[in-house]
Amino acid sequence: MSAPIPEIKKDDLVGLVKSLFQEGRVAHFLAYQKGTVKFKTTPLIAHKEEDLQGLVVDDFFHSNLALYLKEIKGRVGILTKGCDSRSLVSLIKEGQVKREDLYIVGIPCPGQIDPKRVAAAASCAIEELEEINRRGQEIVIRVSGQEKTLPKIQALMEKCLACHYPQPLIFDALLSGDYVAPVSPITRFPDDLRPKPIAEKWAFWSGQFERCIRCYACRNVCPACFCPRCLVEENMPQWVSPLPSKGDNFVFHLMRLMHVAGTCVSCGECERVCPMEIPLMKLNEKMAEDLRELFDFVAGVDLDKALPFRTYRQEDPDDFIK
Amino acid sequence: MGAKRETKEKEKKWEPKILAFLCRWCSYAGADLTGSSRTSYPPNVRILRVPCSGRVNPLFILKTLRSGMDGVLVSGCHPGDCHYTAGNYNARRKFAILARLLEYVGIDPRRVQFSWVSASEGDKFAKVVSKVVADVQALGPNELFRLPQGGQTAKGAASAHE
Repeated sequence: MSAPIPEIKKDDLVGLVKSLFQEGRVAHFLAYQKGTVKFKTTPLIAHKEEDLQGLVVDDFFHSNLALYLKEIKGRVGILTKGCDSRSLVSLIKEGQVKREDLYIVGIPCPGQIDPKRVAAAASCAIEELEEINRRGQEIVIRVSGQEKTLPKIQALMEKCLACHYPQPLIFDALLSGDYVAPVSPITRFPDDLRPKPIAEKWAFWSGQFERCIRCYACRNVCPACFCPRCLVEENMPQWVSPLPSKGDNFVFHLMRLMHVAGTCVSCGECERVCPMEIPLMKLNEKMAEDLRELFDFVAGVDLDKALPFRTYRQEDPDDFIK
Repeated sequence: MGAKRETKEKEKKWEPKILAFLCRWCSYAGADLTGSSRTSYPPNVRILRVPCSGRVNPLFILKTLRSGMDGVLVSGCHPGDCHYTAGNYNARRKFAILARLLEYVGIDPRRVQFSWVSASEGDKFAKVVSKVVADVQALGPNELFRLPQGGQTAKGAASAHE
């Protein structure tokens, strides 16, 4: 725990990407640049060496860059954390991207910092935070000139606490030797809803579905959602009304889940971008666990294992069928 | 809906409405056998014939619930008997996940039921339907998406437009 952690150096990354451009191995490179808001990064799509100036390396790599592969043609280099690499595996399996078109630069992920949780732990507003830095297993923050130290568990994004794959699973190059497994006493995403009686579950979820404004941010940000025409936009037949209502939102959310079953790697992007803060990860995690339990399938881990709905076994559980 | 009709409906005893997706090769023929062998079963079930249980998109089941049907039954060939070799095996995987998700969001598993009924199992079909109807009767009407009395929501505004 106390061993010093080799940090990822920005120069190493920039040097690597420059050489990739020079050798003509990639036409585009996907990384992160400074966001317009403090403690946020935004995707950087570099087409030439000069574009790399804005590139940053910090602990706020929140977004899943695998999303942008849908729109970029040709050889693409991509900076990849553990969870994003699982998205890549999923997309390759789904035939959405070709492995040979990708140059994957893996970064061993120490867990990404969630400014919201930091602010909550320091009991101040996000705007009051002046600095957030990671020092080994601790997060050092500065609020109104004073330094404070927080344990990682209070500062990382929730999904990182339950992460089993901080190390990228596929890569062509891996930055810095070591990686830090997140300090995680939680082996599973916490969900106290599961053991509750069914009426309470509906009370909870119907309330959530009612709040959804159907902005489709969750769908648009999801690397696993790649239908050229989404079912919510179909009008012959029209499955759901474009106007939000509890019933149609219910159909939309459950169908979104069914469509990403086996491809969803619980990267948590849907929940992060939701303006209504609907806890979508609870649904994703529940489905991931069911897939594991019923079909022994973990999404985005094994390139050779067939997707759960593309295959079957005669001895699949069917105790629910009378 | 007119006020007159509403009171009329209230006076009538509530009976569940069940939509049954039956596979063309087994369960539909099974249902046919039930009829031709004069076995009686509750008339609450509306039968929709599908080419295979594998044709039943989870979306159909969700949409049925959303449309206010009180229960859904999906029935196909027994494992190994599928006319298309593996349609029901594939369907079974989808339904297993869907059933668990529905339970997780709080929809009683008795509302959405699955069964295997072969073409020779006329009696089984009658039993399955009776069970589904009895289960849904015990659960009461599907009010999952009903609007609160007098409440105006986006849905209300939508139907006003139509």
